[in-house]
This record gives sequence, structure tokens and C-alpha cells, in this order.
Amino acid sequence: MISVNKIFYALSILLLCNSAAYSQDSFDEQYNYAQSLFNEENYFDAVTEFKRLLFFDMSEQYSFSANKMIGLSHKQGAKFSDAIRYLTLAKIQATTSIDIYNCRIEIIKINILRRTISKALSLLDSLSNDPGFRINIDEINYWRGWAYIFSDDWEKASQSFALIDSNHFLTTFCDSVDNDLYSVTLAKVLSHIPGLGHFYTGEYLSGLLSIGWNVLWGYITVNSFVEDRVFDGLMVGSLLWWRFYSGNLQNAEKFALQKNLEKTNSALRFLQNNFQGERP
Amino acid sequence: MIKIIFNLILIASTIFSQTDSFNFQSPHNIKLFADYLFCEGDYLRAAEEYEKISTISDDTINFKIMISYSEIGLYQQSNLKYKFQPNSLLTNDARRLFIKNLFLDSPDSYYEKTGSELFPFQLDSLSLNYRNKLISISFLFSSVENIPAEEILYPFELQERKIILSFYDQKKDPSYKSPLLAGVFSTIVPGTGKMYVGEWGDGITAFLITSLFAFLAYDNFKAHHNTRAWIFSGLGAFFYGGNIYGSVAAAQIFKARIDFEFNDGLKLYLEQQNYFLPEYDFCK
Repeated sequence: MISVNKIFYALSILLLCNSAAYSQDSFDEQYNYAQSLFNEENYFDAVTEFKRLLFFDMSEQYSFSANKMIGLSHKQGAKFSDAIRYLTLAKIQATTSIDIYNCRIEIIKINILRRTISKALSLLDSLSNDPGFRINIDEINYWRGWAYIFSDDWEKASQSFALIDSNHFLTTFCDSVDNDLYSVTLAKVLSHIPGLGHFYTGEYLSGLLSIGWNVLWGYITVNSFVEDRVFDGLMVGSLLWWRFYSGNLQNAEKFALQKNLEKTNSALRFLQNNFQGERP
Repeated sequence: MIKIIFNLILIASTIFSQTDSFNFQSPHNIKLFADYLFCEGDYLRAAEEYEKISTISDDTINFKIMISYSEIGLYQQSNLKYKFQPNSLLTNDARRLFIKNLFLDSPDSYYEKTGSELFPFQLDSLSLNYRNKLISISFLFSSVENIPAEEILYPFELQERKIILSFYDQKKDPSYKSPLLAGVFSTIVPGTGKMYVGEWGDGITAFLITSLFAFLAYDNFKAHHNTRAWIFSGLGAFFYGGNIYGSVAAAQIFKARIDFEFNDGLKLYLEQQNYFLPEYDFCK
């Protein structure tokens, strides 16, 4: 038979626990409410509610998580500078090395998205040089690969992904994109023979026009010299032939860059729409 | 004895928990949070928070809502929030903010908005003077010409007049270059139109190249090298025509730059003067 005293003490302890937890409930509720707004992709209101929580949280219990969520909300709204500001605050407030690491990775991902690639790479370097994060080296290489993708350096991107796994999807994908790109240097070198650089990039009509102009001005220049009209030859040669010749070199380079941009944009679109793995 | 102590702890903790349970949406807390957002410069969120408690009759809150909307460029919405009693401490400030919003909504046509029906209050001498100042500034932004200097300057104080007068002089006699004149100059002597606009390098280059092609054309015609002569003539004509067009365009661009720099300078001056309003110290 349970005594009345025992029941009294049990109930009292239960009430005591409840009442102690009660005050915290309102802050938890606020956090959960803000989190639900974030989950519903209502990022503007999510920021407001997380800010409200931070403002009233005198115990600073939510400093890390609220700052982090504000940073992530700003990231979703493409307000990258604000996102980095709040994630940096979250990093300062973080108490575990995992939280610090996650904040640093998020900051790196935002730098990749806003194409401050040199900053992203230097942050990745400092992360990989930190002995505490050696265990995460694969993930660090993964984001380094993405940083190179966003800087259009598909070869280095492939090398970074290969450090994780040489058969990684992104290794082979970056390799194929890199192989598919036109060599800008080759296009320029080839176009020393007018039109050849254009043919290399598939611009056949421009190539033919380039040949035509260079033949015409070349002929008139040579003809002027043959007819002892040296000044005419110098003028046509320098003002016209040279202009069209150097234009042909510049055009070959421009076409190669333009075509490469189309290819890399299409590769990025593919990754955006079809790649199932983690993206910045 | 133990029961008594236990009961005391229980009662104390219950009271403690009640005082600690937190209502984020109480009017007081909403105001505190809104003030924080306002001082942080997050005006859109601040306005939203103040709106939640705008049913409370508080002129400071109303005024802060007006400021918040004004700061984010929602001038009409800001003015819709004007509801001040004449005896309020903030009435004068709110009136001037209302006038400023009307001005900022369309600085170059504000001078047309003089009807008393636009104002939900009677214009007293302070408001009138402020409105007149902004009307003068509006004239400077507008395309209206030939306004006497006195009409522009009279609302301003002595030290302000010097600067406003310099803007007025710039407006009255801008250092434009005539596109027609630039075109005529380049037609007579290639390149001089560009030089007139101040683009000396382009002018000299145009002059040299056009002259060179003209000479080459003439020399080749003279020597009966007709093919080359026609090529040089064509190129000379192309550069000659291009230079006339370029000179006209340069004069137009010059005019647009002068206008842009004038408007930019005037805007900068107004911002530095805080649109002739006092600085509010809600956040100090």
C-alpha cells in the first residue's frame, strides 16, 4: 500500500519540475515558432522571430542557434553579407567544435555563392590546416571543389573531388566539362593564321569574313609597296590590315570565352536542377 | 516540518515560474523589440512591430511608424499614419515629416503640390516656412526656368542662402555645350567639335586620321591609283561622318553629366542638412 506521504512527495516533485520548466517553455515555443516559419520558407518573418528571441533571451541560451538561423534565413533571401554577419556571430557563440565547424562551412558556402572565391578558398585552407578538423577533410575538399566550379576552374574542381573519390560523380562530371571546353590559348595561337581560330570554335562565317578582310588589306598593302607607294603601304598596313589582323586574334579569343561560358552555364544549370548531392 | 519546507519551496518556485514565463507579444515587449529594431535601422520590421501596437494612443509610436516608412521610401504610407493632435509635443516634427514625405515622393514636381487640401492639418508659420524651403528646392530639381533668385532664396536663413544661390546659379546658367555647335565645328574642321566639348585627345586623333585619309585619297587620285584612292576616300568619309555624329553625341552626354552632377550635388546637400530637419535622438 502506497502511503499518502509518498503520493504527496511524488506529486510535489512533479509540480516542481513542471513549474521550473514552464518559464523556459515560452522561449522554446518562440524558437519552435521561428523555426516553423523558416521551414515554411517564410524567411522574412523567421528573421523577425529569431531576432525577437535573441532580443529577449537574457540568458543567451539561444544566441548560437538563433544567430545561426538568422544567418541561414538571410542566405535563403540572398542577403549574403547579412548572412555572413549572423553566422559569424553564431560561430563566436558556438560551444562545440561541431557547431563552430558547421558555421565556418556555411560561411564558406555563402562565399562560394556570392563568388568571393579567393575568400572561400582561404577559409577552406585555414579549415584544412586546423588539426581539429582533419577528420572532415573530405567535406573540406568537397566544398573546395565547388569553389573551383564557381570560379570556372573545372580542372582543379575535378582534382579536389578526386581527393575524396576518383569515381565521385562530380569528379567525372568536372572532367567531362573541362574536356569539353575550348582552349582559349589554342584559339588565339591558331588565329595567327586568320580565320583558323574562328573555325576551331565553330564560327565558320566569321572565320571566312576574317580571311576575306585580311586577304584584301594584305593584297592592297603588298600592292602599294610593289608600286613604290611606300607611304600608302605603311598606312594601309598599319591602319587597316593590322587592325583587322589584331581584330581577328581578339575575336578568336572572344568566341572561345563566349562558347566556354555557354558550356559552363549549361553545366551549372544541370547541377542546379539534377544534382542530388549537397550544393552551396 | 519537512512538509512545511517542501510546501514553501513549491509555492516559491510556482511564483518564480509565473514571473519568469514570458509573453513576447505583450504590447510592452512588442514596443521594446520595435525600439530595438528601429535603432538597429531595420525599419521595415520596426514598422511592422509598431503597427501591431498602433491602436495604443501614443504619439511617439505614431511618429516612429512615420519615420520607419519614410526611411524605406514608402512616403505615401508614412503620411497615411499622420494622426496628431495640435497640442502634441511631436506635432511640429510630424508636420514637417509629412511635408518632407510629400517632397521626397516627387522632388521635381513638389512645387505643384501647394493646395491646402493635401495637408491634414493647418499650415502654421513653421510648417509654411519648411514647405516653402522644399518648394524652392523642388524648383531647382525641376525643368522650370526663369524663376527669380529672390523667389528661391527667401525661405532660407542667411548662411543657407549662399549655398542655395550657388545651386541656383548652376541651374540658371549651366555649363552645357551645344550639340548643334559641336556638330557644326566638326563639319568645318574635323575633331574641333570634340575639342569644344573638352575631349581633346579624341579631337586631335579625329583631326589627324581624317586629314590623313583625305590626303591619301587626294594623292592616289592624283597618281591615278583609283582603287586605293576610293578606298581612302570611303574611309575618310566614314571617319568624317563618324566624327560629326560623335561630337553631337559627346555634347549631349556632356549635358547629361552636368545635369546628373547637379542633381547629385543637391541631393547630397539635402542629406547633409537632413532636409532642414532636426536630428531625432530616439536611440541615444
